[in-house]
Amino acid sequence: MSSYLKNVWAGFYTAVKGMMITSRHMFKKSVTIQYPDEKFDLPANARNKLVLDMSRCNACTACAIACPVNCITVEGVRVSPEDPHQEVHADGKPRKVWVTRYEMDLAKCCFCGLCQAACPSDAIKHTQDFEYSAYNKESLYFKYQILTPEQSAEKVRLLAEFKEKEAAAKAAAAEKAATEGKPVAPKKAAPKADEASEQ
Amino acid sequence: MDLTTLAFFFFAALTLGFGAVVVLSRNIMHAAFSLLFTFFGVAGLYVLLHADFLAITQIMIYIGGILVLIIFGVMLTTRITGVDVKSGRTGKLQLGLTAALSVALAAVLVKIFLSTLWHIAPAADVDATAELIGNALLTKYLIAFEAASILLLVAIVGAAFIARKK
Amino acid sequence: MESTNFIWDLMGKNLWSVVAVISLPLIFVLIYALVAILAELKVSAWIQERLGPMRTGPWGILQPIAEVIKLLQKEDITPTAASKILFNLAPYVIFTGAYAAFAVIPFSEAYAPANINVGLFYIFAVGSFSAIGIVMGGWASNNKYSLMGAMRSVSQVISYEIPAAVAVLAVVVLTSSMNMMEISRMQEGGFWNWYIFGGPGGWTKIFMIPFTLTLAIIYFIASLAETNRLPFDIPEGESELVAGFHTEYSGMKFAMFFFAEYANMFVVAAVVTTIFLGGWTSPFGSFLAGAGWGAFWFILKSMFVVFLQIWIRWTLPRFRVDQLMYIGWKVLLPISLVCFIAISFFSLLNLG
Repeated sequence: MSSYLKNVWAGFYTAVKGMMITSRHMFKKSVTIQYPDEKFDLPANARNKLVLDMSRCNACTACAIACPVNCITVEGVRVSPEDPHQEVHADGKPRKVWVTRYEMDLAKCCFCGLCQAACPSDAIKHTQDFEYSAYNKESLYFKYQILTPEQSAEKVRLLAEFKEKEAAAKAAAAEKAATEGKPVAPKKAAPKADEASEQ
Repeated sequence: MDLTTLAFFFFAALTLGFGAVVVLSRNIMHAAFSLLFTFFGVAGLYVLLHADFLAITQIMIYIGGILVLIIFGVMLTTRITGVDVKSGRTGKLQLGLTAALSVALAAVLVKIFLSTLWHIAPAADVDATAELIGNALLTKYLIAFEAASILLLVAIVGAAFIARKK
Repeated sequence: MESTNFIWDLMGKNLWSVVAVISLPLIFVLIYALVAILAELKVSAWIQERLGPMRTGPWGILQPIAEVIKLLQKEDITPTAASKILFNLAPYVIFTGAYAAFAVIPFSEAYAPANINVGLFYIFAVGSFSAIGIVMGGWASNNKYSLMGAMRSVSQVISYEIPAAVAVLAVVVLTSSMNMMEISRMQEGGFWNWYIFGGPGGWTKIFMIPFTLTLAIIYFIASLAETNRLPFDIPEGESELVAGFHTEYSGMKFAMFFFAEYANMFVVAAVVTTIFLGGWTSPFGSFLAGAGWGAFWFILKSMFVVFLQIWIRWTLPRFRVDQLMYIGWKVLLPISLVCFIAISFFSLLNLG
């Protein structure tokens, strides 16, 4: 009998206790975040949309090599010292390479962050932006360019011309050396590059 | 025709109509559920007779108790999910005999209805029949009341005995 | 005897006033059901530290309307193997049972749709319509889950009607009346006169308080079972029976079940309010008393009880069938009988 009453009391008491617990929760602040209106802060190292800073990129292709899913395609061309259009790089030095093609397919990206780690100039980064979904894969294919295709073709042509000139100069020097019996200066391009930086 | 008369005809039609369904339906479950409306119609008739306590007792006991029992009985004694809940076909002879008996019974009843001099009481405005019934049951009809309760007690004991684990 | 229905006073007794008297509770049920659905959503959300619906209207208050519109638009399916007439009839039978009970609820001292002498008994009687409707729907669906749910539901309703009736009977012994209006009127004059606190009477009534309090709790628990609410929702336990007796229902007919459930919740809340919480009487004596305030107090108290039901639903898990029967027959019934006998004894001694 006493165990029966104790049992009944325990049942009632625990039910009331449970209700007290839920009543406490009733007045706590809600944990819901009403997403489109308010967003919660992502952690600082969150890896979301990949973004490239073209002013820093050197087209070194380290990111394309690091990428496990091959979503990055990079092509670059060296800046011809005789190019009238010289540019200062983001790190304060003159730009040495023109990025003629930089494409990334974010539909393929697996957000591993390896490209970010591989980049020597902090150009490619995962940002906090995660709202870039699209209705077709084409709109997730990002093409970066600072030069128009014509300009890129121009840069390629300038470099080819410069190389031709250099080769001609080299040939001339070699001829001269052969006639004078002196060895060829081991570094011919270096003073030229310095000249370019002085310009 | 005032509302009360309309209500009377409505309840009478409900009672008779669904009573006919109870008799004629081949599906036992349909017959059982038709009883719901029959009982409800009878309760309505009680209300029109100023017998409020009786009307509610009718709903309570017949709909809440007996009808549920009938339905449970039907569902538990047949294959409930199958379509076996139909009454079987009766033979021609039985049908004829039953029809003759029913007609005879109906004739007798109609004769009694027509020949009796019905005593029409003035419509007394009895408000609280519950009190009167309670007093009558516990004073004048105490023996009958107690006998009924003993019957129910015996039924409960019997049911417990049958249902008990051996 | 003064009138207990202001519509009779205003319009006299004619067909239009009858229609008005009948439709006023219906309007109330529809509005109340919308509020209760919203309360259910919001209280469950708050208990779980969520916000609940927020997008439909300010703070999501139009959510129940959206849900009703959604249900109205849904296809109304009748399964081919179902017993069509009974299948289509069942929701209306259930709703009739729930709505018929509103006929005797005393909303205010000036409004009880029908002020009959056996009001409490009547509420218990029409409650059986719901049981029949549930069996009807469960059987007619021709579905194992529906049938199991219906059988469970009816056995549960029948079991829990007894402790509930005994608890009500104890109050009837104290008031010597089954008229809900009179029971309310007896508790006038402040909350210490409510029957949950022993009813009106001298200091000797303090001996009765534990018993009436217990009976109020017992009636409340039993009423939860009668309305098939958690923790007694084994007839529609999702993990066992899909949705119980309304598994096959969709669209408007499902909405009828929904409305009937909420209407039933209000009916049992109104009974608790009337017999234990003073009905339409003001808790502060004559302060804020009157016909209009009466309706306010009545609806406030009833909604508090509905809130309690929702609160319990989102607190406690579901009982097993054997636990349910244990609680009904071995806990609630004996305790309510003991309380009933004690209260009868007190009322014989005129202690109350």
